[in-house]
Amino acid sequence: MSNAPGSPPPQNTAAMAVELAAITKRFGAFIANDGIDLAVRRGEIHAIIGENGAGKTTLMNILFGLLQPDEGSIRLNGEPTVVADPAAAIKAGLGMVHQHFKLVPSLSVADNVFLGMEIRRHGLIDHAAQIARTHELSKRFGLHVDPTERVGLLSVGIEQRIEILKVLVRGARTIILDEPTAVLTPQESRELFQTLRSFVAEGMTVIFISHHLEEVMEVSDTVTVLRNGRKVATRPTSELSKDELVRMMVGREVSFDRRPRAQLHGDAVLEVKDLWARDDRRLPAVRGASFTVRAGEVVGIAGVAGNGQTELAEVLSGLRPASHGEAWLKGQDLTTLSPAAIRETGLAHVPGDRMVRGVDRNASIAANTLMGRQHRGPWSRGGVLDWKAIAGNAGALIKSFDIRAQGSGDAVKRLSGGNIQKVVLAREFTNGADFLLIDQPTRGVDIGAQEAIHDEIMRQRAAGRAILLISVQLDELAALADRILVMFNGRIMGEVAGDDADEDRIGMMMAGVSPELEPAQ
Amino acid sequence: MEILDKLINVALIAATLRTTAPILLVALGGSFTTKAGIFNIGLEGQMLVGAFFAVIGSIWTGSAFAGVACGVAAALAFALAFAVLVVTFRANEVVVGLALNILAGGMTISLMKAIFGTRGSIVGHGIVGLPKVQIPGAQALLGSWAPLISGFTPIVYVAFIAVPLLVLFYNRTRLGLYIRVVGEKPEAAEALGISITRVRYIASLLCGLLAGLAGAHLSLGYITMFTENMSSGRGFMAVAILIFSNGDPLKVLAGCLLFGFADAFSLRLQTFGFPSYLVLTVPYVVALTALFALSYRARPKIIKETLASMQKLLSVDRNSAPVDKNPQ
Repeated sequence: MSNAPGSPPPQNTAAMAVELAAITKRFGAFIANDGIDLAVRRGEIHAIIGENGAGKTTLMNILFGLLQPDEGSIRLNGEPTVVADPAAAIKAGLGMVHQHFKLVPSLSVADNVFLGMEIRRHGLIDHAAQIARTHELSKRFGLHVDPTERVGLLSVGIEQRIEILKVLVRGARTIILDEPTAVLTPQESRELFQTLRSFVAEGMTVIFISHHLEEVMEVSDTVTVLRNGRKVATRPTSELSKDELVRMMVGREVSFDRRPRAQLHGDAVLEVKDLWARDDRRLPAVRGASFTVRAGEVVGIAGVAGNGQTELAEVLSGLRPASHGEAWLKGQDLTTLSPAAIRETGLAHVPGDRMVRGVDRNASIAANTLMGRQHRGPWSRGGVLDWKAIAGNAGALIKSFDIRAQGSGDAVKRLSGGNIQKVVLAREFTNGADFLLIDQPTRGVDIGAQEAIHDEIMRQRAAGRAILLISVQLDELAALADRILVMFNGRIMGEVAGDDADEDRIGMMMAGVSPELEPAQ
Repeated sequence: MEILDKLINVALIAATLRTTAPILLVALGGSFTTKAGIFNIGLEGQMLVGAFFAVIGSIWTGSAFAGVACGVAAALAFALAFAVLVVTFRANEVVVGLALNILAGGMTISLMKAIFGTRGSIVGHGIVGLPKVQIPGAQALLGSWAPLISGFTPIVYVAFIAVPLLVLFYNRTRLGLYIRVVGEKPEAAEALGISITRVRYIASLLCGLLAGLAGAHLSLGYITMFTENMSSGRGFMAVAILIFSNGDPLKVLAGCLLFGFADAFSLRLQTFGFPSYLVLTVPYVVALTALFALSYRARPKIIKETLASMQKLLSVDRNSAPVDKNPQ
C-alpha cells in the first residue's frame, strides 16, 4: 500500500462506509437475518426500520462483531473486512450505542467516558485531562453533559449522551445507534437528532435503528425496511410516505379470510375510561384510552409494536399500576385490584410473552394447567393437591385443545411454541372468566396451530365471552375482531368495524394519522 | 464528673486506636472484595489463620517480622482457596466463606494440639512480639498527648496509613477503578475487555494480605499469644461494617473507630468494677445501635412502612376501644 504525498488515504475515497452482502444468521431453526444486503453511504443518516423481531439488532450486532454471520460478507470503507469482535469493529472506525447502557453509576461522567482507555500521568489517572477532553467533545457535538457529575444521578437521556461520547472518544467515524429514542423524551429525541446531524456535517456516518416512523421520516436520509429477517427495500426517505413505510414494515400480503359469525349483542363487560399508564421509564405509554368490550364480542387492538399495547394489557391484568383512569369489570375497578383479585373477578389472561408469564417451562403440562387455581377444589382438598384429579383434568384439556404431547406429565419446555400456547389457552379459557385478555396469541406459532387457536377464540366468542385481542398482525385482527381499535403512541386513534377493515385506513392510523381525530403530536 | 474524667482520657483514646487497628485492617482488606462485588464472609477465618501462623512463624524463626510474613502467607493461601472456589468455580460466597471459617477454627485448634500438645492458648514457647515504635520527638512535641501517635506496634501504623492510600487507590489508579467497575457493573467491565476473573482474584488476594496482617497484629502486636478463636468475631464485625460502608475506606474507618472505641471503653469499664459480662456486650450493643441508625437512613422505606403499619394497627385498636365501652 503506497502513501504517496498528495493522494488521499484510501478509506476516504470509498463512497460506501458500510456494505453488507447476503448476510444470513440463524439461531437454531429460526432465521434472524435472511440474505440481507445493505449499503450505507458515507456521510448519511441511514435508518433501519422494522418491527420487533424483524432482525434489525441482529444485523447490527453482526456488523459490530458481536455475532458472526453464517453467510455473507462485510466491506468497511470499501475494504473486505472480517469483524471478529467489537475490538476489531472499533479499530475499523465503527462505534455502537446499545439499547442497554453499560455505565458505572458511582463513577463520574468523564471516568465513564474514558473507562478502559484512561489518560494517565505518572501512573495515576489524570482526572483533569479526562474532564477537559470530555468537555471539549460534548461542546463540539452538542452533547451537553457535566463531566464531573456522577452518572448514577443522571437521567437516561444524559446516560445516552455519555454512551455516544464513549464511542466518539474511541475514534468512531461510523456510529450505530440501536433504538436510541426508545429511552428518550420527545425533547431529548430532538436534541439527539441535532447531534446526529452534526456528526454527518463532520463527514461521519450514522446508522440508526428504529421502529418509530415519525423519527425515521424526520431525521434519516435513507431508509432500509426489514421484515421477518428479510430486507424489504432501501429507499431515499424523501421519496417515501409514512403510509408506505407502515405497509412495508407490516407487510402487504394481509389476508382477510374473515371468520363467519353470528352478531351477538351482549352487555358491556369491560369498560375502560380515560386510562393512563406509564412505562418502565416513567414516561406515559397509555394516554387516555377509553373503550368498551361487550359479551360475545372480539375487540381487536392494532398498532405497531411498542405503542402502548403491552402496557395496556399489563394494567388490565394488574401487573402495572394505572396513573389515571378506571377499568370496570363486573362492578369492580381493576386499577385498584391485585392480579389475583382481578382473576377472581373474572379475567383470563393470555400474556404476550408466554415463556415469561404464560407458563413455567420446567413444570409439567398438568402443573401448568393448574396454576392460579391450585387452592380451589377439586384440585386441592384441605390444602393438599389431588394430583390424580389434576392429571385427569389436564388429560381432558390435552384432548379438547389438541395439545400434541405424550401425556400430562410432559415438561412444557419439550413442546413446540404452538402447543405451549395451547396449554396457556387451555388453562385460561376453562377457568370460567367472562373477560378474556388475549395478547399476541399466535406469535411464533406455526400455521396449523394458528388456525386451531383462532378456532378456539371464536368458540369463546360464541360462548358469550368478552374478548380483547391485542395483536400486531393485521390479518389476525381482520379475521377475528368485530371492531378494531388502532393504537398509536399510547392513544386510540380510531375504530374500524371488523367487517369493513381496510388496510389503508388502519395503516394510516398506525402511522399516527387519523381522519377523525387530530394527528398526535 | 470525676468518673467521666477518669474514664475518658488520653489512655482511652490510645487504647481505642489499638483496638481499632485489627478490625480496621481486616475491614480494609474486605473493602477490596466488597468493591469487586464479592461478599466475603471468610474474613474471620483468614484473620484467624493469620494470627496462628504468625505465632508459629515467630517461634520457628525467632523473628517477629518473619512471623508476620508467615501469618500473611497463611491468610493468602485461604484467600486463594476462596477465590478459586468462588470466582473460578462460582460456588456460593456465603457457603465457601463459612466453610473456610470453620476450617480455620478447627485447623488452628488441632494444629495447636499436634504441635504444642495443649488446648486453649499458646503462651511463651519463645514467641517474639512486635516491637513498639517510639516516634522520636513525640514526647517533646505533644507532651502528655504523645501516646496518641507513639508507642504502637508497626501494624497499627500500617492500618491507619492504609486508609488514605486506599482512597487514592480507588480514585486514581487503574486497578482500583477496575475493581470498582467489576463490582458495580460487571457487564460494563466485560464490554470494555476488563477480565472480571482476574480483577476478582487480585481483589481476593489483596484482601488476604490485609486480613493476614490483621491476624498477625492480634497475636504478635495486640498481645503476644495465640488463643483459640482469638479473632472473636472481628471478621464478622468487619463484614457488617463493609455492608454499611459499601467498602469506602473513610466510612470503613469511621465504623471501625466506633467499634474500637466501644471495645476500649468496655475494657475501661471493667477496671471500674462493672460486671464483666455486661460490659463485654458494650461493643456489640454500640455496633448494633449504629448499624440500625445507619440502616434507618439507608432503607427508610421498609422501616417507615413497618412503623406506619404498626401505627395503623395501634390506632385501629384505639378507635375500636371506645366503641366497646359505649355500646349503643
